[in-house]
Amino acid sequence: MSDSDARSRIHETVQNNDVVLFMKGTRAMPQCGFSSKVAGILNYIGVDYTDVNVLEDEAIRQGVKDYSDWPTIPQLYVKGEFVGGCDIAIEMTLSGELDALLEEKGIAFDKAAAERIRESNS
Amino acid sequence: MSVTEEIRARLEQAFAPQLVVVKDESEAHRGHAGYREGGESHFRVTLRSAAFAGMSRLQRHRAVHEALGEGLLGRIHALALDLGTPDDPASEASGSSGGGAG
Repeated sequence: MSDSDARSRIHETVQNNDVVLFMKGTRAMPQCGFSSKVAGILNYIGVDYTDVNVLEDEAIRQGVKDYSDWPTIPQLYVKGEFVGGCDIAIEMTLSGELDALLEEKGIAFDKAAAERIRESNS
Repeated sequence: MSVTEEIRARLEQAFAPQLVVVKDESEAHRGHAGYREGGESHFRVTLRSAAFAGMSRLQRHRAVHEALGEGLLGRIHALALDLGTPDDPASEASGSSGGGAG
């Protein structure tokens, strides 16, 4: 697969799915602690998301870094927009900004579960 | 210069930070992907700088990536960033946790 093929596949994936997590491993079996944390948040707050395992495709693994101009995995996208990596996803969960973003974009999630994460980390 | 020292030097030059802590957490990742004997593979950086005022989270992270440069980033397996202005509390226990490169 050429670089431009990878780029268009990534573009298509983030445009056609409301929430996408590029990660190492899968949502059910993450293979990196950082990916595991973000998948864990999304699983816990019940967001319907698409997981893309970059370990299965070297072109996507490099391609997504070029696409977002971001050097690390995981990478979270909401409605085609790059949100951030693990630090940012955690900070936004704890500050309530992730809730606000999901609400603004009309994406369903379990707000009470998000509150529980904040309570147990306060 | 060690990687730790190089990270610190670049951050000090780019952001004139009020606080900069560069922790080599590699030992905590012994046996995990990307671990190297001798450490200097997994880092946690806490940075407080007035330069971050008015910048979004993404912009702050991108500014740090740029200051470190591709060459240095390419030698690090994982980098957790806790970035804020001098007004933000610097919490070592914030649970912030970065991302895996490679």
